[in-house]
Amino acid sequence: MKIPLPARFRTPVLLMAGLTLLVALATAIGSEQLNFTLTEMLIRMIVVIGLYMFVGNSGIMSFGHIGFMGIGAYVTAWATLAPEWKQVMLQGLPAFLQEHTYPFPVAVLASGLVAAGVALILGAAIMRLNGLAASIATFAFLAIVYSVYSNWESVTGGTSSVIGIPTVVGPWTAVAFACLAVVAAYAFQVSRYGLMLRASRDDEVAAQSSSVDIVRVRLVAFVCSAFLVGMGGALYAHFLGVLTTDAFYLALSFVTLSMLVVGGIGSLTGAVAGTLAVTLIVEILRACERGFALGGAQISLPRGSQEIGLGLALALVLIFRPAGISRSREL
Amino acid sequence: MVDPLLRVPQPTAAELAAEGVSVRFQGLAALSEVNLTLLRGEIVGLIGPNGAGKTTLINCLTGFQRPTTGRVALAREDTAGWNPARFRKAGVARTFQAGRLFRDMTVAENVEVTGVGLGLDRKSAHSVAMEVLDWLGIADKAARTAGTLDYTDERRVGIARALVLPPAFILMDEPAAGMSDSEGEDLVGLVTSIPTKFGCGVLIIEHNMRVIMNVSHRLYVLDGGRTVAQGTPAEVQANPAVISAYLGADV
Ligand SMILES: Nc1ncnc2c1ncn2[C@@H]1O[C@H](COP(=O)(O)OP(=O)(O)OP(=O)(O)O)[C@@H](O)[C@H]1O
Ligand SMILES: [Mg+2]
Repeated sequence: MKIPLPARFRTPVLLMAGLTLLVALATAIGSEQLNFTLTEMLIRMIVVIGLYMFVGNSGIMSFGHIGFMGIGAYVTAWATLAPEWKQVMLQGLPAFLQEHTYPFPVAVLASGLVAAGVALILGAAIMRLNGLAASIATFAFLAIVYSVYSNWESVTGGTSSVIGIPTVVGPWTAVAFACLAVVAAYAFQVSRYGLMLRASRDDEVAAQSSSVDIVRVRLVAFVCSAFLVGMGGALYAHFLGVLTTDAFYLALSFVTLSMLVVGGIGSLTGAVAGTLAVTLIVEILRACERGFALGGAQISLPRGSQEIGLGLALALVLIFRPAGISRSREL
Repeated sequence: MVDPLLRVPQPTAAELAAEGVSVRFQGLAALSEVNLTLLRGEIVGLIGPNGAGKTTLINCLTGFQRPTTGRVALAREDTAGWNPARFRKAGVARTFQAGRLFRDMTVAENVEVTGVGLGLDRKSAHSVAMEVLDWLGIADKAARTAGTLDYTDERRVGIARALVLPPAFILMDEPAAGMSDSEGEDLVGLVTSIPTKFGCGVLIIEHNMRVIMNVSHRLYVLDGGRTVAQGTPAEVQANPAVISAYLGADV
């Protein structure tokens, strides 16, 4: 089938149409469980797309993006919780946060901006490192965010949960933001900056001789990508209604990185496809852990099968299809 | 509307020079007190046996290698502390012995990178890229992924990438290496027309003696990091130092 679209809009339009259709079908079925899974998946997709924006175009792996997600999630909690709650739970917040609540769109935008601001400072320090050193630095960043947020009780509640965040995000809001992320990531990758960044990924030395300012283009991508991931964190907060610092650490980092790798690090289509595929795998394994009846006998996989299964899927993709299920190409 | 090309300043430098350049890697003297001048509009050959320091000299002249002593001057201005991007902006472009294409990008994108790096928007970068690809006879391969090209085309893309938005100087590191004689001669034919077509000075490293003697106005001969001879092809070929150091085996 030939789709009559200008070639340059093809990928984002197809991806957005597919996602919207998926949500339309799922909401028509109307299962609470399905809506929950779908919304969570779409929010993760936003994070994975944000991660792709930096990792896919720069070729530098980041283990720190879930830190940006956590930062975004807490920003929106600070902004949207009722003042009575904040005065009890989060006494260390400055007055402009503690005494006011801000509307959802403002809070989500602020989440993105704060994450981007942190990325600007962090990136300015680490984007001049070589690829591997930069990756390790992003991991250190994640560890720092985690321990700061786990111990800064007066503004994060420390290890206890922050509750009472308005749960206003369902599948439609999530898909709207996922579409926004698709458009943003695509616009970036075809932009001047995207082109220069991909050149530096393929050959740093040759990129320099083409007058590419590598540190600068990497930094731009890092900041934009943190913005998307920060917004993803805010949506996650407004989806769950409850925040703990543990939610934004190794487990989620592993899942989102698996999504990116399984889909194919080098393409936006890969980020989307990987999120879908890994969610499917995880949900099937989760169902198996819960168990099902087979000819009168109750069969269930042992707990932990989820993580093992995901690890296996990741290893298999890396062995047999290193460029991911999308082969790192676009639709 | 202002032509976007006008936003990129034309390089004005008329002379690129290595002045007493030495490079030492740990104990090894890769270059010792080398002087070289390249003027706009001329083709200068750089020859010498393997390991003579030819690539190291190009690295110095393009900001990839800092001279241990001595200096590189562009239009008489000292370039100390310039990075390669700044050299390209000032009009000094190069190709690489190893090709170094952006493998996962298309041929057109490979060339566009330079235009964009120099400040063009993508659309203008694309149109100038296509002009150069057309001149090099590979416009029909613009949409191919660079990693799938054969050796000859790979070299041409590398040259296109350096020539787009014409620099003042183009430094070519063995552009015809690995090509058959006839392919190499075709390519060198194109190189000959670069000064008139693009207004550049050309520095070219090439191992094929017949070819390099034909295209060069002047030559420098390096051996063991030192300049052993320089001058017109006739002068160089008659120089006993060259014959013993380099041509001996070839003639
Ligand atoms: N980065 C480096 N570190 C250490 N030694 C180096 C480095 N680069 C080059 N050399 C050495 O410096 C000398 C000159 O190398 P160079 O690559 O400039 O030679 P060349 O004339 O280009 O040779 P070829 O014809 O083989 O390309 C060689 O002995 C090489 O091993
Ligand atoms: Mg060499």
